[in-house]
Amino acid sequence: MTNNPHHESAIQHVTGEAVYVADMLPTGQTLRGRVVYSPHAHARIVSYDLSEALKVEGVHDILDCKRIPGDNQLSVVNLDELCLADGVVHCVGQAMFLIAAETDEIAFEAEKLIRVEYELLDPILTIDEAMARGNRLEPPRRIEIGNVDDALKRCKHVLSGELKTGAQEHWYLETQAAVCVPGEDGEMTVYASSQSPTETQMVVAGVLGLPAHKVVCEVRRMGGGFGGKETQGNHVAAWAALLANATRKPVLLSLFRDDDQKITGKRHPFQSIYTIGFDDEGRIEAYMVDLHADVGIAADLSMAVLERAMFHAENAYYIPNVRITGHTWKTNLPSNTAFRGFGGPQGMAVIENAMDRVARYLKMDAAQVRFKNFYGIETRNETPYGQMVENNRLFTIWERIIASGNYFERRKEVENYNRSHTLYKRGLALTPVKFGISFTTSFLNQAGALVLIYRDGTVLVNHGGTEMGQGLHTKIRQIAALELGVPLEWVRINATNTSKVPNTSPTAASSGTDLNGMAVKNAVDKLKERLSPCAKMMLNEVCGSQTEGDITFKDGQVFFTHEPTHRVGFVELVKRAYIERISLHATGYYSTPGIQFDKDRGKGTPFHYFAFGMAIAEVEVDTLTGRSKTLRVDIVHDVGDSINPQIDMGQVTGAFIQGMGWCTTETIKRGSSGELLNHSPDTYKIPGIGDTPEIFNVELLPLAPNPKAIRKSKAVGEPPFMLSFAVWLAIKDAISAVGNHEQEPDFQLPANCEVVLLSMEKLKGNG
Amino acid sequence: MINGTTLRFLQDGRVVEIDFAGSAMRPSTTVLNYLRSLPHHRGTKEGCAEGDCGACTVVLGEPGENGRIRYKAVDSCMLFLASIHGKQLITIENLAQRKGSETILHPVQRALVVEHASQCGFCTPGIAMSLFAFYKSGMEPTRENIVDTLSGNLCRCTGYQSIIRAAQELCSHREPDHFDANESHTLELLRQIDSQSESMQFVHPGQTYFLPKSLEQALRIKFENPGVHVVNGSTDVAIRQNKRHEYLPAILDISAIGRLKGISREGKGHYVGAGTSIEALKEFAASSFPALSPALGVFASKQIRNMATIGGNLCTASPIGDLIPMMFALGAKFEVIGANGKRWVEAEDFFEGYRRNCLKSDELLKGIFIPEIDENVLIFSEKVSNRRDLDIATVSLCGAIRRDGQGVITDIILAYGGMAATVKRAGHVEQFLLGKKLTVQTVDEARQLIARDFNPISDARAGNDYRLAVAGNLLMRMVE
Ligand SMILES: Cc1cc2nc3c(=O)[nH]c(=O)nc-3n(C[C@H](O)[C@H](O)[C@H](O)COP(=O)(O)OP(=O)(O)OC[C@H]3O[C@@H](n4cnc5c(N)ncnc54)[C@H](O)[C@@H]3O)c2cc1C
Ligand code: FES
Ligand code: FES
Repeated sequence: MTNNPHHESAIQHVTGEAVYVADMLPTGQTLRGRVVYSPHAHARIVSYDLSEALKVEGVHDILDCKRIPGDNQLSVVNLDELCLADGVVHCVGQAMFLIAAETDEIAFEAEKLIRVEYELLDPILTIDEAMARGNRLEPPRRIEIGNVDDALKRCKHVLSGELKTGAQEHWYLETQAAVCVPGEDGEMTVYASSQSPTETQMVVAGVLGLPAHKVVCEVRRMGGGFGGKETQGNHVAAWAALLANATRKPVLLSLFRDDDQKITGKRHPFQSIYTIGFDDEGRIEAYMVDLHADVGIAADLSMAVLERAMFHAENAYYIPNVRITGHTWKTNLPSNTAFRGFGGPQGMAVIENAMDRVARYLKMDAAQVRFKNFYGIETRNETPYGQMVENNRLFTIWERIIASGNYFERRKEVENYNRSHTLYKRGLALTPVKFGISFTTSFLNQAGALVLIYRDGTVLVNHGGTEMGQGLHTKIRQIAALELGVPLEWVRINATNTSKVPNTSPTAASSGTDLNGMAVKNAVDKLKERLSPCAKMMLNEVCGSQTEGDITFKDGQVFFTHEPTHRVGFVELVKRAYIERISLHATGYYSTPGIQFDKDRGKGTPFHYFAFGMAIAEVEVDTLTGRSKTLRVDIVHDVGDSINPQIDMGQVTGAFIQGMGWCTTETIKRGSSGELLNHSPDTYKIPGIGDTPEIFNVELLPLAPNPKAIRKSKAVGEPPFMLSFAVWLAIKDAISAVGNHEQEPDFQLPANCEVVLLSMEKLKGNG
Repeated sequence: MINGTTLRFLQDGRVVEIDFAGSAMRPSTTVLNYLRSLPHHRGTKEGCAEGDCGACTVVLGEPGENGRIRYKAVDSCMLFLASIHGKQLITIENLAQRKGSETILHPVQRALVVEHASQCGFCTPGIAMSLFAFYKSGMEPTRENIVDTLSGNLCRCTGYQSIIRAAQELCSHREPDHFDANESHTLELLRQIDSQSESMQFVHPGQTYFLPKSLEQALRIKFENPGVHVVNGSTDVAIRQNKRHEYLPAILDISAIGRLKGISREGKGHYVGAGTSIEALKEFAASSFPALSPALGVFASKQIRNMATIGGNLCTASPIGDLIPMMFALGAKFEVIGANGKRWVEAEDFFEGYRRNCLKSDELLKGIFIPEIDENVLIFSEKVSNRRDLDIATVSLCGAIRRDGQGVITDIILAYGGMAATVKRAGHVEQFLLGKKLTVQTVDEARQLIARDFNPISDARAGNDYRLAVAGNLLMRMVE
C-alpha cells in the first residue's frame, strides 16, 4: 500500500467534495463573466455599440480593449496575442468584449444587444493557403545528420509521400475557468485552472498594469489540462481579472463548453512531406522530412511544439542520414497550443507511417522492419541532433512484448481471418516510442519548493507543480514522506500558490515529478541537515552516550544509522527543535543539469533522458461502414522504478486512449469561413468506455531503474500517448488487407470512419 | 382541478418545497443549475450541458412495480426541475454517510478509490452516480453491462480501465446500503407527495408549467392553451434552453401521465405508449424484436434513454431520429388524440418535413401500434455513427423485405435516416429489387442506384460521398 497510495484527493473526488474553480465561491457571491468573441475569421471592426447591452438590468460592466489598464497582451514571449481585439479580428473566437453580469443568463441577454459592424477581410484558413501567401511565423528550422542528398542517390529504394495529421481538442472535462477576487491597494487574487500559475500571475499583472507582487495565483486542481491550460488558462484568468478589477467584485468566468471549443487552440495540425531511402532488407539509409505546422494566429508555444516534432521525427530508429526541416505557418484560426506529446506525436506519425509503407513495399512484416532499425545500444545510437541514446530499453521491451503479445502467432491468425472474411478485415501493428524528457526550452527546467514542518510534526509541502489529475501531488507527497521518514498521513500538499513558491515553470513536458520532486527533496535534505544535530543530542540524552554518526529518518522516528534500537520520535524532535530555535521550514530548488541545445546548429543535448514503450494493437474494420473496433492491445512501457505503479498505470492507459481518440474518432472540421463545425461533444467524439479494447494488457517494464531522476523513476505523462499509433497503423493494415496488401492505401490521421471507408472503396475499385 | 402549485421532491432525506412565484428559478431551470445554486451540492458538475458527458449525472428514485424503489441515472443538465415532482433526487453528496467526524464511503465510492479510478476527478461524481444506479439494479457486471451503464459518462483521464475494474469489483458482491435501510420511510414520503398531486401547475412570472397526471387533463390544458409546448423526457427541448437560452413561456409536461407509458400486446401486434422510455423499448426489443436491437443498443446513453421517450423521438421528426426508420419498416400506426377525439395515422404520413410532424395544435401523440411481423418478412436495422455509443447517426437504415416461397421479393421498405431532410425511403432501390431474389449480385447492382434516391449533405459528421457510399453498402447486410 505504501508503494501504491491512492490519489491524494481520491476521497474528495468520489464524495464530490473536491473543489474546482467554479465551485470556489457560492452562487450569488460572484459576478459572472462572459467573453464576446468574433464570429469572423478575419474582419475589420468598423464600429460597435455597447450602450443597449449596458442598460440590461444586472449587467455591471462591459469592457472593450480601451478599458484595459495595463497592456493589451496575453502572450508572455512573442507579444503577438491581444487580450481584446483592437480594430481587427483575426480568427473566429477572438475575444472582443467582456461582460460582467449577475447571472449567465443576463450576460447572454446583454451579448445579444451588442451591435458590431464588420468589414470582412480575406482569411487564410489552411496551411496550403498560408504557403501560397508565404505567411510564415518564423523562418524554417533544421536538424541534420549525415548527407541525405547523397544517401538518397545511393539507396536502392526510395519512396516519397505526404501525411496529414489533424487537430485535436483537449476536451478536459472542466472547461477553462478562473475566479478573480480584488483586494485592497489594487491586489488581485486569481483562482485559476492553469498549468502555469506564474504565467497566469504575470499575464494578469500585465493586463492590469500591476507589479507582480500584487497578484497571487492559486491553483488547487484542474479538471484536466493535457496542455490546454499551459498558456490558454492564462487568457480566461486575464479576462476575469479585468472584469473583477473594473467592478471591484469577485468574478467567475467559466467557459461554456461550446465557447471553450470555439475559442481555444488545439493540437497543431501538420502536413508533412517525406522521402525515405532503404535497402532490400528494410534498413533505412536516409530520411528527409518537411514538417509543416498550422500555428493559428499567434506564436503561443508553436516554436517549441515544432522543435519537439523535429526531435521526434526519427522516433526509435537510427538513421544515418537525416534532414528534418520544420516550418510554421500562420492562419486565421485560434492559436494552436500545447497538447500532450507537444508536437512529438505529429513528428513521429510521419516516420511510423513511412515504416509501415516500407514494409508493405518490401512485402515484409512491419514489426520486423521496425526492429531492424531500432537505435543500437553501443553503436548506431546517435540522434540527428547529436545526443546519444543512453539506457536504451527498446530491445528489452521488444522481447517482452513479442512474447506476451504473441505477435508472430497473431500475425498468422490475422492473415487467416482476412483470407476467409470479406466484410470485416483485421489488422495488427506493433509500434515503439522513444520520447525525450525535459523542456526543450532549457531554462524552464527548474523548480522550487517550500516545505513547512509544524510543531505537531505535520508537514505542509508547497511546490511549483500543479495537479491536473496526473497524480503529481500524490507522488510529491510520497517523496516528501519517504525522504523525511514520516507516515504519508503527516504530509499534505498545499494548493499551488505563487506567493509560496515563485517563478514556477509550467507543469508540462511530463517533467512535473522530476523537477518538483527534486526541489522538494532538496528542501527536505536541508531540514534533515538542520534537525540532525538536535536529533543527535536527543539520542545521546536517551542513551546517556556521546555518540557521533549519521541520522536516519524513518517511520516517524529518528535514530543513529548504526544503532537503530534507540529512537526518538519525529514529533518530539520537532518540538525540541522549535525550543532550540531551529528553523522548521526550508525552500528547495532544482535545475536539471547538462541540457542545452543550439537552435542554429540544430545540435545539442536537449533531453535529460528518454522514455521507451511499445504497443501491439489488433483491430477489426467493417468494410461496409469504415468503423473500426480495437480488439486487443498489449503495452509494455518503461517508467523506471515507479513511485506509484497504479498512478503510472493510469497515465499509460489514459494517454493511450486519448491518443487513440486522436488517431480515430476525434475529427476537427471547419466551415468555409473558418468556423469550427465540431464545437460540442455532440459532434466531437472523444473515446467512450465502449471504445476501449476488450483485451487490454498493460505492463510497466520491471527492474528498469532510471539513474537520472528522483527515486530512479521516469516521467510518464506524455510518452504513452504515442503508443496509440499501434491502433492507427493496425487500421491501416486492415484497410490494406482489402487490396491484399498489394497497394499503399490512402491514409491520414485521424483514421475516422470516413477516411477508412473512402480508402477501402478506392482499393475495392469503387472510389 | 388544479390541486397544487408547490413543487415537492425528496432531497437529502427531506421533502423540499419550491414555490416558483417568488423564486429566481423557473420550473424549467435544470436540476443541474438548481443544484449548483445550493451551497452544499456542488459535487454535481457541468461538462457540456447537452447530455453528452455525464458529469452531471444524478439518480432519481421512484416507486417501482415490485414495491421497491427503482433508481435511474439521468443527466441533470437535461432535466427540468419541475419534472422531478414526487421523486427522490439523489446526488453525489448523498452516497457517503457521516458518523461524527468520520466519513463512511458507499461501496461504490470505496471501489473507485481502491481501484484508482479517479484522476482529475471531474468526471468522478457522475461516474459514481451511474455506478450507484447500476449497483442498485442488481445487474451482472459483465463488460457489456458496464459499457451500457457508463457509455454516457466521458472520462478524459483514465482510459476507463480502472473504472471498469471498480465496477467489476463492486458488483461482484453487493451488500445492503443505507438506501435500503431507509427505503420504507422514503417510499412513505413519496406516497405522501403523490397523494397531493393530482394535477400540478407551477407558475413563475416568466413561465407556466403544467404537470398533469391524466391524459384528459393534458388534452384540456393543450386545448385551452394553444401555445403551450409539450415536453416529455425534455432531452430535446432542454438543449434549446441550455444552448440558445430560449425559455418556453408555457410548458405541458406529460411525463407524469401513467397511461402514456408501457408496452402491451394488443390484437395482432403491440401497442407502445408515447410516454414509454427508450430504455424500456430497448429492453422490450431485446426480448421481442431482436432485429431492432442493433440500433436501439446504441441509442444515446443510459441516462438519456432513461429520460427520452418514444413520443419525443417521433414528434421531433428529425431526419436522424433513430426510431423513425423503424416505424417505416415495421408499418407502425400512430394514435393521435386531440380535443375532437382520436385518429390513426400511418407512420409515413406522420412526418411532414424537417422537424415537422402532422399534429394539430390541440393534439398529442398517444402511442403507436406495431403490427406483428410474419415470418416471411426480414427486418434489419443499423445505425452508423462515428463513435459507436452516444452518437447521432451519420446514416441509419431500417429495412423490411417480404419474400414468397421462391425467395422473390414481393414487398420492400428501405427507410434511411441522415440522407435527406426527413427520413426517406430509397424508392429507386426498392423498385429495382422488387420481383428479384436477394443475391450478392442484385444487391450490388441495387447499390448503384442510391445516388438516384439521395443527395445527402456534408456536415460536421461526414461528407456527401461518405454518406452515399455507406448508404449503398448497408444494403449488403441483407445478403450477409
Ligand atoms: C445526448 C443526447 C443523445 C441523443 N442521442 C440520440 C440518438 O442516439 N438517437 C436519436 O434518435 N435521438 C437522440 N437524441 C435526441 C432526442 O433527445 C431523442 O430523440 C428523444 O427521444 C426525445 O425524447 P424526449 O421525450 O426527451 O423529447 P422532448 O424533448 O420531451 O420532446 C421533443 C419534442 O417532441 C414533442 N413531444 C414529445 N412527446 C410528445 C407527444 N406525446 N405528443 C406530441 N408531441 C410530443 C415535444 O413537444 C418536443 O417538441 C439524443 C439527445 C441527446 C441530448
Ligand atoms: S453536463 Fe454533460 S451531460 Fe450534463
Ligand atoms: S478523471 Fe479526469 S475526466 Fe475522468
